[in-house]
Amino acid sequence: MYGRRRARVLLAVLVLISLVLITIDFRSPQGEGPLDRGRELLTSVLGPLQDGLGSLVRPIGDVFTDVGDLFSLRDENDQLRARIDQLESRTRSIGDLERENEELRELLGMRERSGLDVVVAQTVAFGPSNFEWTITIDVGSQNGVERDMAVVNGDGLVGRVIQVTPTAARVLLAIDPNFSAAVRLTRTGAVGALDGRGGGLMRLETLNPEAHLVRGDEVVTAAYSNGVFPAGIPVGSIDTIGETTSVLTREVGVRPFVDFSRLDHVMVVLHRPLAELPEIVIDPSIPIRPPDPLPSPTPSESPSPGTSPSPGATA
Amino acid sequence: MIARMGVVSLMILTVALLQTAVFPHLTISGFRPDVLLLLVMAFAMRDGPIVGLRVGFAAGLLADLLMDFSAVGITALVFLGVGYIVGLSRPYLSDESISAPLVLSGLTGFIGTAGVAILSALLGEQALSLQLIAQASAVVALYNVLLSPIVVGTVTRIVDRFPAQGLLAAP
Repeated sequence: MYGRRRARVLLAVLVLISLVLITIDFRSPQGEGPLDRGRELLTSVLGPLQDGLGSLVRPIGDVFTDVGDLFSLRDENDQLRARIDQLESRTRSIGDLERENEELRELLGMRERSGLDVVVAQTVAFGPSNFEWTITIDVGSQNGVERDMAVVNGDGLVGRVIQVTPTAARVLLAIDPNFSAAVRLTRTGAVGALDGRGGGLMRLETLNPEAHLVRGDEVVTAAYSNGVFPAGIPVGSIDTIGETTSVLTREVGVRPFVDFSRLDHVMVVLHRPLAELPEIVIDPSIPIRPPDPLPSPTPSESPSPGTSPSPGATA
Repeated sequence: MIARMGVVSLMILTVALLQTAVFPHLTISGFRPDVLLLLVMAFAMRDGPIVGLRVGFAAGLLADLLMDFSAVGITALVFLGVGYIVGLSRPYLSDESISAPLVLSGLTGFIGTAGVAILSALLGEQALSLQLIAQASAVVALYNVLLSPIVVGTVTRIVDRFPAQGLLAAP
């Protein structure tokens, strides 16, 4: 019986420790609490080990997924063929668009999008939980990576950096429920917010609930919310469009372009989120002159070309 | 005693590495097994509630620190609960039983996964849907059942060489 009592005491002690830890972590701000230092330490210690183990087993894992894919290959082949036809017809008009785009861009003095600096990284590990969609990559602050930088691969947006150590970083994947991004539809320019739903489709909420949406509309990032993401990174395409409810929201599902089950090489975009705009200071020495009052035509006399140039007047 | 502690720590660390670096490549419908939970169960089945509590707390805390959003301590709490309860059931299980590890791994897989998810959701840290929690828990239960012969067999074989001593031994 002595052992059983000992077990109860130990149970009580460990439960208490857990509750204290939960409280500490819950009350400390995200990414800055004392336990987050522990997380960073663990990432930097385990990173190299995970890297080594991952490079050993990656080929095995690839075979495993390839076997699973055998059945869907024919379908995928047909789809890809159709897609090639579609794209070929579109390529013809691209040259003209590119030239026009370049000219307009010069006129506007916009930042060149393709000039984004990136660091190539390798995925070394995933999060341990089935409810958090994160990866660990093998670049860190030594390579210029900072928190909140965007992570992309050849297909589009992968996620956002949430933790940085000198040699490794953790990335929150775009499908994680904690992920959110400002986006724009390429066809109409409508803006909205995109949230992860934990695998599968992402959820889009357009600013205008009545915005005209079509299945297949492409979604790209927009440089709002202090520019967390550079504008124009492809994210996905609209897959399902629900009905507008009485509270003016509707479920719009967006299928991401990135295959999150096969993240191998990714790129961190070295684009710092924009600092907040400086406050506008009004110089009191400059006198503010009220604008000249518009000459208003009196209703009694008809406007003549000589006196007041009204919008309706003929030349 | 020290050798045993070293071996147990090494086993927890190895399994955590497998969990983060290997099993993400071997998912069933997008979900991976919870091998750490299986390890806790295997230790508790073999050595009773005290060892179950200790290993559960250590493994859970490591998993917590590897996560980013759920509060540190949630997984530790759930895992130590699993370790304790499985440890208490030990006197009622036969050592040679084949069905016991299978049934227990399914139960602990479901309850452990759902428990962590529900606690995280209650603390408002994640926008988890009930459907997602149910799906994940069911798949983890199934996957853990499939892996349980390997994990339980390995743990038993290794721990037999480093038996728990004195007060640590099961009541």
